[in-house]
Amino acid sequence: MKVEIDRDRCEGHGMCEEAAPDIFRLDHEGVAQVLIPDVPTEMEAKAAAAARACPVAAIRTTA
Amino acid sequence: MRRIVIVGGSLAGLSAASALRAEGHDGSIVLLGDERHAPYARPPLSKGVLTGKEEPTSAQLPPPGDDIDLRLGTSVVTLDFSREAILTRGGAWVPYDGLIVATGARARSLGQGGLQGEYLLRDLDDSIALQQALARGPKVVVVGAGFLGMEVASSCRMLGLEVDVVDIDPPLLRLLGPDLSEFFADVAREDGVRIHAVPDGASLLGDDKVTGVAAAEFRIDADIVVTAVGDVPNTEWLGRLGSHPGFGPLLVDSRGRFAPGIVAAGDVAAFREENGGEFRRTPHWSSAVQQARTAAAALLRGDQADPVRPGDYFWTEQFGLDLRMCGQLPPRGEMQIVDGSLQKREAIVRWIQDGSPTAAATINRKLSLPALRRFSSVPIDSAERQAV
Repeated sequence: MKVEIDRDRCEGHGMCEEAAPDIFRLDHEGVAQVLIPDVPTEMEAKAAAAARACPVAAIRTTA
Repeated sequence: MRRIVIVGGSLAGLSAASALRAEGHDGSIVLLGDERHAPYARPPLSKGVLTGKEEPTSAQLPPPGDDIDLRLGTSVVTLDFSREAILTRGGAWVPYDGLIVATGARARSLGQGGLQGEYLLRDLDDSIALQQALARGPKVVVVGAGFLGMEVASSCRMLGLEVDVVDIDPPLLRLLGPDLSEFFADVAREDGVRIHAVPDGASLLGDDKVTGVAAAEFRIDADIVVTAVGDVPNTEWLGRLGSHPGFGPLLVDSRGRFAPGIVAAGDVAAFREENGGEFRRTPHWSSAVQQARTAAAALLRGDQADPVRPGDYFWTEQFGLDLRMCGQLPPRGEMQIVDGSLQKREAIVRWIQDGSPTAAATINRKLSLPALRRFSSVPIDSAERQAV
């Protein structure tokens, strides 16, 4: 699974980091960054849950 | 538990589906959503989508994977608890081994029976309809000065519309306490909003079509009225299992359980505090996510699931103010400025009661959620050293 952040859309609420701190982290500007863009199979459920926790729908996942 | 049915295709339902898979459930998951739209985020509905700046589709959440049987446009009529099945409006019975109730709430209306010109804002279709109405340049009255009502008023001003706001209480008082309430009211007035306190309440004027709002001492003319006076949990379909049909939320334990094999999450539910405490309904984004995780885990693992961690993060954007807050609403204690100033519209603030912080907020200031949470919960000096 691939994970991307729309940096223009991201408002830095940090819900993704809270749901999956291994995969997402807010940078020094308060914008989320993806630590593991190619998510291994065993972490996919967590990445998907984090993407759905984004209140501004700024995270896209593709198979 | 082979087949789990989730009723409700918004944030809580979708999060519950994700959580079931993350917890290792490998049986089937059926997700019934009554809207025709794929699951989406609600926060933009009173902001970017409402002003027309953002496309309605831009709020879509990542859809569930192939391993989840998502059925849109499927509203439910009733639950047959003894048969363990749900009847849909289309007449089909959907059987379950485990059930997650995430049917949310609907907006409360003032005009019984639907006056033309009264708008509610709860779902995407509501937002699209209101956006189209606002595009015609009406004079607007917003009834209700909570987060939603004030965000709508802000969007109206962005569109250059004349707008009045009426509420029993000053704006956001019940949510943010007196200091920030006054601050937000001042900023809104400066932006051109007329704010009216109506201690005895307000009612709609007009026979078939809304013509304005009436309070004890005055009347305000309006082309349209936006009613933002709270919501009603959708529990009727649960029959006698719905604790207070038509009025109150489902009362669930600290793991979201309320009947054998049935859990609930999101705006429909009031979770009990641990150790037999109060039932609290917290209809906010972070709560829905937390409760969905808890309820999914409790359905699979019962008492071994962790009790819910109360959602403690809230935000609003209005009149150029971006407020983010950690703690329980309304904040308890005295508000202090930690950094910046309200006058400059950029600040970190904190509430202190009996020498301990109870809540913290940022206004137009970037701070990570963990840092904000530290401000809201740990003693003053150490939090400042770590976070400023």
